[in-house]
Amino acid sequence: MTTNRRQHTLEVLVENEPGVLARVAGLFSRRAFNIETLNVGPTEDSSISKMIIGVAVEGHSLEQVIAQLDKLVSVISIKDVTPKAQEVHDTQPDYQN
Amino acid sequence: MAQHVPTANGTEMTGATSLVKSLEAAGVDVMFGLPGGAILPAYDPIYDSTIRHILVRHEQGAGHAATGYAQVTGRAGVCIATSGPGATNLVTPLMDAAMDSVPVVAITGQVPSAAIGTDAFQEADIRGITMPFTKHNYLVTDPAEIPGVIAEAFHIATTGRPGPVLVDVAKDALQKMTTFNWPTSIKLAGYNPKVRPDSQSISDAAALIAQSSKPVFYVGGGVIKANAHAELRQLVEILGAPVVTTLMARGAFPDSHPLHMGMPGMHGTVAAVTALQKADLLITLGARFDDRVTGKLSTFAVNAKVIHADIDPAEIGKNRHADVAVVGDVKETITALIPALKAALAKNQPDLSTWLRQMNSLKSTYPLGYDLPEDGSLSPQQVIERIGKISGSDTIFTAGVGQHQMWASQFISYEHPRTWLNSGGAGTMGYGVPAAMGAKVGAPNATVWAIDGDGCFQMTNQELVTCALNNIPIKVAIINNESLGMVRQWQTLFYDSRYSNTSLDSKRVPNFPMLAEAMGCVGLACDRPEDLDKTIEKAMSINDQPVVVDFRVHRDAMVWPMVAAGTSNDEIMIARATAPDWDSQEL
Ligand SMILES: Cc1ncc(C[n+]2csc(CCOP(=O)(O)OP(=O)(O)O)c2C)c(N)n1
Ligand SMILES: [Mg+2]
Repeated sequence: MTTNRRQHTLEVLVENEPGVLARVAGLFSRRAFNIETLNVGPTEDSSISKMIIGVAVEGHSLEQVIAQLDKLVSVISIKDVTPKAQEVHDTQPDYQN
Repeated sequence: MAQHVPTANGTEMTGATSLVKSLEAAGVDVMFGLPGGAILPAYDPIYDSTIRHILVRHEQGAGHAATGYAQVTGRAGVCIATSGPGATNLVTPLMDAAMDSVPVVAITGQVPSAAIGTDAFQEADIRGITMPFTKHNYLVTDPAEIPGVIAEAFHIATTGRPGPVLVDVAKDALQKMTTFNWPTSIKLAGYNPKVRPDSQSISDAAALIAQSSKPVFYVGGGVIKANAHAELRQLVEILGAPVVTTLMARGAFPDSHPLHMGMPGMHGTVAAVTALQKADLLITLGARFDDRVTGKLSTFAVNAKVIHADIDPAEIGKNRHADVAVVGDVKETITALIPALKAALAKNQPDLSTWLRQMNSLKSTYPLGYDLPEDGSLSPQQVIERIGKISGSDTIFTAGVGQHQMWASQFISYEHPRTWLNSGGAGTMGYGVPAAMGAKVGAPNATVWAIDGDGCFQMTNQELVTCALNNIPIKVAIINNESLGMVRQWQTLFYDSRYSNTSLDSKRVPNFPMLAEAMGCVGLACDRPEDLDKTIEKAMSINDQPVVVDFRVHRDAMVWPMVAAGTSNDEIMIARATAPDWDSQEL
C-alpha cells in the first residue's frame, strides 16, 4: 500500500471565512487522511481563498478524500492538479457538481 | 422554508427579534430550549412569538426532542440553548443527529463578540467543538447576517443528506439594531446536493439486477428520510426479491410482507444476515455499510456485486466498493428504476425461485424467539412484544440503547415509516424519553411509547417533568433488568461473567413509580406475567398525563441472534455457542 503511493496535489477553492482552515484540517485529521503539504492563499475574488493540498493517497482513498472534502459547505471546488508526470488518472473527474 | 416574504421585511428591529422572525419565516412551529445569559436577548421576542417554545430541564433533552420531532415529521427540529455549558449540553444530541442524518437546527447564544477568545464567562468555542458532527455551522457577529444564515441553516439541514446545523450568535449581535431582510433565494457555491440520479447509472443498475440470480434489497434509513417507502414496495414487488431493513430502516418496508427477511446486522435475523452474506447482488438503497451491519468487512457478502444508491457521494465506496453507484435522492432513484427494471426484466427475467425458497426456509427455521424465564418471572422480550401488539401498528416507538432497544427492534412489528425512532449510529443512552417527547409534539394524535432501559431512563428522565407540565402525554416502559444489560451480556459472553460495574440495583433504588409520580406522571409497576396485559391496557387508557411503567423483568435474558463485534456475519450465533445448522440448509 505504501510502496506505490504517489503524491496528489489538490487545488481547493474555499469560502474565505473564519474557521475554514480548521474545517479542512479537522476533516483530514478526523478521517485519518494525511496532509503532506498545505498552502493557503488569496484569489482575485476576495471572498474566495485557494488551498493547495498535497496528499499521499491513490485510487479509492483519493476518491474518499475528495468526496469528503466536497461535503464541506465551505469548499467550493476541488481539482486534482497533480503534475502530469505524477498523474495516475487518465480522466479528470469533475467534483464540482 | 416559507416561500412568502415576511411582513416584517425592511423593518428595524433588534438582532434578537430578527432571529425570531427568521425562525418564523423558516416555518418553525415549535422549539425546545432553555435560556441563559448569552441567549437571553432572544428569549424576549420568543415571549411574543407564534412559535411554541417548550422549556426543557436539560439541553440534551432539547436536542433529542428536536431529533424525535424531526424524525416523525420530516421537518427540521429546532433546539436553543445559551453559551458555554448550555451549548456543550447539545453536543451529544448533535452528534447523534449527524450519525442518523436527522435535520436539526441548533441555536446557541455566544458571549459578546468583543469577549470572544478571552475565556469569558460561559465562553465555549461551540462552533469549533461541533465542526466534526454538524453538516455546517456558523458564528454570527453581525446582526444583518441573521436572516440569511437562518435561511441557509434550514436549507442545509433539510436538503441533500439531512443533518444538524448549528448557529452560534454573539450576544451583541442579538442586542444591536438591524433591518430585517429575509432572503428571496439561497446561493451556496459549495453546496449543491445532487438529487436526480444519472440515467446511465439507472440503466446500469437495472441491467445488473436483471442478470442476478440472488439479489437482495439492502434498505437503510435513507428510504424513510426520502419518503420512498411506497416506491420501494413497488420496486420490490416487481422483482420479487428478499428485503432486509436496517435498524434505521425499520418500518420502511412492512414487517408483515412475505418478502421481508427482517433486520440484518449484529442482532439481525438469520435470514436477513444470510441473505446479505449469500447474495450475488446487493441493491443498496439509502444504507451505508455500517460495521454493525457488515460485521468483519473483508468477509461481508463476498460473492455479491453492489448497487449503491445514496444521496451522499462520499458514502459510495467508503466501506465497500460499488459496482454501480447511483447518486441522488433515493425516491427519485427508485422512481426511475421502476420502469428501467420493468424493461430489463421484459428482456431477461431471472429465476429467483431457488433463492427465495432458501431464504424462506431460513426465515421459517430461524424465526426470532425467546424462552420464558423458568422461575416464572417477567420476560423482557414478552413485555415488549405485548406492548407492540396491544398498542397497534400506528403507535410511534422510541428506544434507549441496549438490550431493550434490540428487542424493541425485533419483537415489535413495524408496518409504517417513522414509527420506529432510535439512536442507531451514535447509540446514545438517554435518547428514548426526550425523543418520545419530541415525537409526541410532532404527532400529537399518535400514541408514543418510549421503550427504555433502567440505565438509559436514569440519564434523561427529567424531561418527564417537561412532558407533565406541557401536556405531552407520552408512555414510558422501563425494561427494568436492574443492570446495564447489554454491557452485562458482553461480560457474560466475553469476560467470563465478571460483572464489573454493570449492576444498577434498580429494583431497589430508585423507586421508578414514585419517581414518575414526583415528576407529575402516573407511575405503574408490573412484575408478574399474569398482570402484563392489564398493566399495558391501564397505561393505554391514560391519555391526559405521561405514564411510566416499571416492568421488573428477568435479569439474565440475552439478545439473540448475535454476530460478535469484529467477527464475520458467517459466525452468527442463535444462542450461546449455537450456530444455525447450516448443513441442513441448501445454500
Ligand atoms: C451515553 C452512553 N454511555 C454508555 C453506553 C454504553 N452502553 C451501551 S448499552 C448500555 C447499557 C444500557 O443499560 P439499560 O438502559 O439498562 O439497557 P439494557 O441493556 O439493560 O436493556 C451501555 C452502558 C452508551 N451506549 N451510551
Ligand atoms: Mg437495564
